Amino acid sequence: MLRRPSQDGIAQPARRPIRIFASDPQAGRTFGNRSSIEVVNEHLSPGPVGPRLEVIDYDGSQQCFYKPVDLDDGTILMRGGLDPSESDPRFHQQMVYAVASKTLENFDRALGRILTLGSQNRKRGAKYPRLRLFPHAFYGTNAFYNKDLNAILFGYFNAEAADVGPNLPHQTVFTCLSHDIIAHEMTHAIVDRLRPLFLEPSNVDVRAFHEGFADIVAIFQHFSFQDILSEYIQRTRTDITKPNPLAELAQQFGYATGSGKALRSALDKPDPKLYGTTFEPHDRGSILVAAVFDGFNKTYQNRIADLVRIATGGTGTLPQGDLHPDLVKRIADEAALTAQRVLNMCIRAFDYMPPVDVTFGDFLRAMVTADYELAPIDEHNFRGAMIEAFRMRGIYPKGVTSLAEESLLWPKVEKLPHFGKKVRKLLEERFFSAVRDFDESWQKPDDWRGYDPKQTCVTREEEEDIKLDVSPEMAKELHAYATENANALGLDRSLKIQVRGFHPVFRVSPSRRLLIELNAQFAQVDHSVKGQLGGIPFRGGCTLVASSDGDFRYLISKPMLKAGGDEAREQTGKERFADQQEYLQRCDMQNALMPYITHKENQERMLEMMNFANLCGG
Amino acid sequence: MTGKKKTIVKNKLNSKKTASKKNAGAPRDRHVTIRMYNVGFGDAFLALIPDGDGERRILFDCGSIEAAPGLAMSSVVDRIVSDVTDAKGVARIDVVVATHRHKDHVSGFGLEAWGGVHVKEVWMPWTEDPADEEARRIRDGQSNLASAINTALTNRSAALGAEPDEELSRYKDIVANSLMLKNERAMETLHSGFSGNPKRRFLSAKSGGDRTLETDALPGVKVHILGPSRQPDVIRDMNPPKGESYLRLRGEAAAHNGLPPPPFPPQFRQENYTGTGTLPKGDPQEIERAGAMSDLAAAVALDKAVNGTSLMLMLEISGLFLLFPGDAQWGTWKAVMEDPEWREMLGRVKFYKVGHHGSHNATPKHFVEEMIPDGVCAMASTLTRRIWPEIPKKELLTGLAAKHASIARSDQPKKVGKVFLVDQGVIEAHIPY
Repeated sequence: MLRRPSQDGIAQPARRPIRIFASDPQAGRTFGNRSSIEVVNEHLSPGPVGPRLEVIDYDGSQQCFYKPVDLDDGTILMRGGLDPSESDPRFHQQMVYAVASKTLENFDRALGRILTLGSQNRKRGAKYPRLRLFPHAFYGTNAFYNKDLNAILFGYFNAEAADVGPNLPHQTVFTCLSHDIIAHEMTHAIVDRLRPLFLEPSNVDVRAFHEGFADIVAIFQHFSFQDILSEYIQRTRTDITKPNPLAELAQQFGYATGSGKALRSALDKPDPKLYGTTFEPHDRGSILVAAVFDGFNKTYQNRIADLVRIATGGTGTLPQGDLHPDLVKRIADEAALTAQRVLNMCIRAFDYMPPVDVTFGDFLRAMVTADYELAPIDEHNFRGAMIEAFRMRGIYPKGVTSLAEESLLWPKVEKLPHFGKKVRKLLEERFFSAVRDFDESWQKPDDWRGYDPKQTCVTREEEEDIKLDVSPEMAKELHAYATENANALGLDRSLKIQVRGFHPVFRVSPSRRLLIELNAQFAQVDHSVKGQLGGIPFRGGCTLVASSDGDFRYLISKPMLKAGGDEAREQTGKERFADQQEYLQRCDMQNALMPYITHKENQERMLEMMNFANLCGG
Repeated sequence: MTGKKKTIVKNKLNSKKTASKKNAGAPRDRHVTIRMYNVGFGDAFLALIPDGDGERRILFDCGSIEAAPGLAMSSVVDRIVSDVTDAKGVARIDVVVATHRHKDHVSGFGLEAWGGVHVKEVWMPWTEDPADEEARRIRDGQSNLASAINTALTNRSAALGAEPDEELSRYKDIVANSLMLKNERAMETLHSGFSGNPKRRFLSAKSGGDRTLETDALPGVKVHILGPSRQPDVIRDMNPPKGESYLRLRGEAAAHNGLPPPPFPPQFRQENYTGTGTLPKGDPQEIERAGAMSDLAAAVALDKAVNGTSLMLMLEISGLFLLFPGDAQWGTWKAVMEDPEWREMLGRVKFYKVGHHGSHNATPKHFVEEMIPDGVCAMASTLTRRIWPEIPKKELLTGLAAKHASIARSDQPKKVGKVFLVDQGVIEAHIPY
C-alpha cells in the first residue's frame, strides 16, 4: 500500500521478504518455525524506521542502546533479512518490525483505509510521528503498550529454575521474539487508534474486549504460515480443535514462567456460566477468543467436508496413516482462507461499534452487521456459526429479542435528515483525499505522513484532545448536524457533543462489489459523576453509518442518562451507569491497593486501571 | 496483667435475665465466648467453647504490626497465657490457628512464653506445608520479593537521609508485614514449638468430598475449611509478580554492577543512539520508569499474595456458625460464595471476625448486604493509622450497622455495644446457642 517509487525505470518490488520465528524460539528448528513473511516494501532507515513504525533498541535496565539493523543494506536485502537468531539484537529488531507491519497491514486491508499511528497531533504531551517499538525496553516478564510514550515496550527475563518445558532453566527469554506477543501488543495500539475511549474500563467487558481482541488477531495470524499450518493439519488429521500450537498463544512465555503450558489457548469447553463468573480481563477475553475460534472452526469444517468426501471415496472417514500431501495442501488453503475471512470480519466490526462502553454483545452485533452489509448471502454460514458459538458461551447482546441474524443487525435509522449541502461539498474533498491515500502513484513514501494535513484537526474539549481525520470545517459542520438532530441520535441536549471520528470506508465484497460507506462517531461526557465512578467520567454517544449518498442506515447508540425524553434510551442510559458502578465495585474488591491508598488516590483509583503495564502480561 | 473487668453488661442476645455462671452447662444458656485482645493493628482472638464442665480453647492468630498505646505485645501474650492457665497452673490451648504468615497475625508467637503452653494441634494453611512442593514455591516467591523490595526501600530511605518520607513509610510497613521468613522465631514456634508436641495440620479447601474437619481436640465442633483452596485462580493470586526490577539490588545482579545480566555480548552495545527513530531527550528515563514496577504496586501485590494464603474457617457447634476468614481476599471469598453449601452457611452466621482489620476488600459488599443475617455479632481488630486512612473502611462498618450487627472495634473499647464485656485489653462476646 505504501509502495516505493520506481528508480531508473526499474520498478521496486511490491513486497519485501523478512525472516522471523513463526512462533518463538522455543519452537526452535521445528519445521516451519524459521519462516519468512512478506511485508510492504517501504523505505527503511536503520532502526528499522519506516513511515509508520520505528524500532528503537534502548534497554532501560542496562541503560544502553543496541546497534540498529539496516534492512535496506545490500547484504541483508540479498538474503531476505538476517537469519533467525536469539543472540543478535538486530534480528530481534527485524522480527518486531516485520510482525508489527504484518499486523498493521491486516487492519489496513480489512478496514479499507490506511491507519496512522503517530501522536504528533496531540495538543498536550509528547509528539511522536510514528508508533515506537522498544524490543528490549526493560528486564521483566511483561510487554505492554504505553499511550503516553506512543510506544510498545517489550521486556526480557530469565526463565524460572524449575519446570520450564523445553527451555533451559534461567535461559533469557525475549518477549519481542514471540509472534503472538508482538501481534497482541500491536493490536492494543491499533485498537487505541480506532476507539481511544475503550481504554476507559466502563463495564466488565471493556478491558476484556481489548485483551480478547488482541489474542484473536494473534491467533488468526497463525494461519497465514503455510508450512506450520500444513504440518498441524496433518498432525491433527484436520481436527484443529485438538490441542495444537495453532490454537495456542505465546508458548515460550507460558513455559518459561513456570506454568507448564502456553500462556493462553483458544480452545475451551463451552460453558455459559463462565461469562457470568469470570472477570479477570485476560480470562474473560479468552471466552471471546474461544467463541470466535469455535465459529471459525465450524465454518472451516463445513468448507472442507466436500474435500474429505472426495478424498475418501464418499465415506468422509479418513484412512489410517498420513494424509495425502495434496489433500493436506488443499485443506490448509481452505483453513487459511477461512481464518483470513474471520479475521477481516472481526476487524471490520470496528466500523459498526459504539464509540464508548463496548460489550461482547456489541461486538457480536457489529460483526454480524458488518459482514451482512458486505455479503448479504451467508454462503458458508459464517455468521450462523459465529452466533451459535457466542450463544454456547452465554454471550447475549442486551436488548435483542432473539439470536436470529435479523434481530442481531443493528437497528436501522429512521427519520433522520440528510447531511446539508455544505457537508456534501466537503465530502467530495474527503472522498478525493481518501482515494488518493490508496492510489500508489500519488505517494512519495519517503515523506509520507499518513494523512493529508488539510484533512485532519485536533479539538480540545473539556480538557481532552480529540484527534480527527477531517478538516476543521467538516468537524464544525458535523457538530452542527449532531446538535440539530440530537434527539434523533439519542444524544443529551444538555451536554456538549464531541465529534469523535468521521471517515469514508471502501471495501470489496466477496462478489467483487465495491462498498462505500460513511462512518461518523459522536460522544458525550459527564465529568460531574467522576467521584462516584472512581475517577473516570460517564460517557455516551453514538456511531452513525451512512451509505455514500448520505442515506443513513444504522445508528449504534450508547445513551446518557437523558436522551430527549426517549424512555427506552434513558432506561438504557441508567442501566449503563449502574453497570459502570457495579464494575467499579468489582474492581475495588480485587484491587490490592484499596486498603493502603490515600483519600486522594481513592478518588482517582480507576485511572490506574487504564494503564496496560498494571495488567501482568500486558 | 490483672485482667480486672470494669463493666459487665447484660448480654442482649441472651434472653434469660437470670443467667448465671453456675448453670452455664444447661442447654438454654450455653454460649461460646470470643475474646478479642487489643494488639493494635493485628489479630488475636480466643474462642472458648463449653465442653462438659470445662471448655475447649482455640486461639486464632497472635500478632501485631503496631501495638495499641500502652499495650506491648509481651503484655498481651502474658494476658492470653494467664487466661488459658487453670487452677493447677497448667496453660492449655487445644488448637492454635495461624491463618497466614503476616507479622500482624503471627509476630506474637515469637515470644518465649509459648514454650510453656500445652497445645494439642496447630493449624496452618496448606501453603505452610514444608513437604509440599507447590507450597514451597509460593513461599519462596513471596519471601524473595519481600526481601528484594525491603532492601530496595531500605537503601532508598538511607539515600534520603534523615528526612522522614511519608510515601516511603507507607510502603515499608506493607512490606515489613510480609517479611516473615522461614527462620523467624514466630514461624519456628508455629512449626516446631509449644509444649505437648502438638500435631500440625496444613489445611486446604476442597471443592467436593470431605470438606470438614472433626478432631478429638475439639469434640462437638465441626470445622468447615472454606479456604485457601488449591484452585489455579486462587494459587495465581498467591504468586506475586516476579518484581525483576528489584533484582538489581540483590545478589544475582551483584556480579553485573547491580544490573540484571546483560542479554547480549558487548559488541552490540552502544552508548549513544545511532538509529533514525524519534527519541527526545529525557525519553530513556521515561522508558526506564515505565518498565520498572512501582514500589507501591510491588508492595501491595505482595501483601495481597500473602493475604491470599489465609485460612478461612467456619466453626459449627450444634447449629451455631462462627466465621473466621483471616485476611482472605476476593479469590477465596468468591469461591465460597459460589459454593451452594457454603453460601447457605454464610446466611446462618452468628459471629463474624471482620477480615483484614476492616479493609475494603476482605469483606465483600455482597456478603454484607445479601447474605449476613440480621443482628450478627462482628468483631474488628483494628487501629486507625495515619498512613493507611482507608482502614477500617467506613462503608463496611455502616453496612454492617445497617444489618443491625453488634460491632466491636478493638481500638474503640468504649464504644462497643452492650453485647460485649469490656476491659482495657480485651473485648469479649458471648454467642449463645
